[in-house]
Amino acid sequence: MRLFPNLNSYRNYKRFVGELTKKYGNFPESFLRRRIRQIEFKTPRGFPQYQPRTIERQNFYFGQHRPWTDEFRNQNSISSKTRIIHVEPIRDWSFFKGDRVEILEGKDKGKQGIVNQVVQERNWVYVEGLNCKLKNENKTKKSLGIYYQDEQPLLVTRDVALVDPSDLQPVSVEWRYTEEGEKVRVSKRTGRIIPIPLQAEETLDYKTRGTYVENKEKDTGEDEVLTITYEPKLKTFEMEIMEAMGIVEDRIPKKTYWY
Amino acid sequence: MFLKRILRSVPVIRDASLRSNDFSRNKQILSAKARTQCQYSTQITPKEEPSEVKPTEHEHNAKLSAEITKQLMQFFDEKDNWGAQRVRVGRAWKKEELRIKSSTDLHKLWYVLLKEKNMLFTMEHECKAEMRVLPNPDRIDKVLESMYNLEEVVRERNKAYHLLETGETGERPFKIVFNKLGLRSFYKLWEHIVPKELHEKWKNHIFSYSHNETKNFLKLYREKLWVKKRRSKLQERRYIFQLFKRFPNVDKEYLKELYPDQDIEKLRQSKLTASHLQQKAN
Repeated sequence: MRLFPNLNSYRNYKRFVGELTKKYGNFPESFLRRRIRQIEFKTPRGFPQYQPRTIERQNFYFGQHRPWTDEFRNQNSISSKTRIIHVEPIRDWSFFKGDRVEILEGKDKGKQGIVNQVVQERNWVYVEGLNCKLKNENKTKKSLGIYYQDEQPLLVTRDVALVDPSDLQPVSVEWRYTEEGEKVRVSKRTGRIIPIPLQAEETLDYKTRGTYVENKEKDTGEDEVLTITYEPKLKTFEMEIMEAMGIVEDRIPKKTYWY
Repeated sequence: MFLKRILRSVPVIRDASLRSNDFSRNKQILSAKARTQCQYSTQITPKEEPSEVKPTEHEHNAKLSAEITKQLMQFFDEKDNWGAQRVRVGRAWKKEELRIKSSTDLHKLWYVLLKEKNMLFTMEHECKAEMRVLPNPDRIDKVLESMYNLEEVVRERNKAYHLLETGETGERPFKIVFNKLGLRSFYKLWEHIVPKELHEKWKNHIFSYSHNETKNFLKLYREKLWVKKRRSKLQERRYIFQLFKRFPNVDKEYLKELYPDQDIEKLRQSKLTASHLQQKAN
């Protein structure tokens, strides 16, 4: 989440990128960080005459494009400058992909639709086929070009409300715990649980967690991962390996001093 | 074994594979020995001879070279993945999954991962040389992450043993000391055969600072740090003003958690939070 943009991006990259975005990408964090960073200059490491310093881009513009894409890189090209964008901090995020929402402002006010994409860095939500703008491309003197409807972002705190499944009316939402200890969304008016849709599980690798097909040559199967082979013994790792390989060590080490 | 699946079958080099233009640079490396085998197989038709007959030197060399290429090709990915758009793989090993496994299993898994790492780095190098894109470069990060996790689990086990037996962690000890500039630094202790008193070189080692120059330097250094801190605090303050101005209903309790240095209630009452568009809500 982009809370305070003037801090160093490397130190606070976790703050910059939203958790839902990370979940959707399903990338390891080191890769994501490597992909986002734009290093201008770095001192050679491992030499006493250099201090560990890097000169890199500190502020990034977050928009519709995901941070690992090339579009994001183009938007944040070296020449481009970013201005400070103020984003309201939200403690508990309650809008997910596949949710039914009602639009409260704009030209599609009062209409209901399904959430297409969530941009947590900007508190944005895209609703399928609603709040569109007519756009034109490739227009010349001879041809009209291509016209298409482009969905525009909606602010979560102001423009959009979740819909109660019992009466299809917009409600404000609260997070509570069930008796089993599960964290659920509950509508404040009726007290009914609003379940999180299956589409929220979607990542780049799979639509839902159950439908992921293993790569038989590279992946280890779930059953094999979960089998327990560990037996606690009063031995170190090296001692156990030596025993298994039949290596016997009789030498007595000389006394040493640590300083 | 659960490891069996990860061990990939190594593709055997045939004539067709060598002719393909996928990696012409590979071909050059491998060609010298691989081609001799091909020529051999096409020129002389294999006869059914009794096994007692000793193979000729040429035949022996050909077999050997084929084996060497087969071994060397383990440094490369499977041929299906060479020009692939995306290779579908799972995530890295987690610590809690590795904690269940026995030490011998972990030992085997380490070498499987090491092999995979070597393979990925050679593929990356080769792709760069051939001006191609490596499919899924995040695989490297996944392998490195699981190797790191595995090492951590092994350290945990060894630590537990040493704490139980000797009361110490059994790891390399460290100290936080002052260097010659007067800054705190992390010093890892070294193992010596000779004790400290008898070590002649050690007498020159200095872990302190006493010159006036260092004191002056420290004064300026601390001032620099303090100015940096003050500046960031002022920037934070300005940012919070703008937040109140744009979003009058912002969650104050959450703001207090995010910015513990700032007095949020006091900032809220400032004139700078007033907006020309909206009235004050709270």
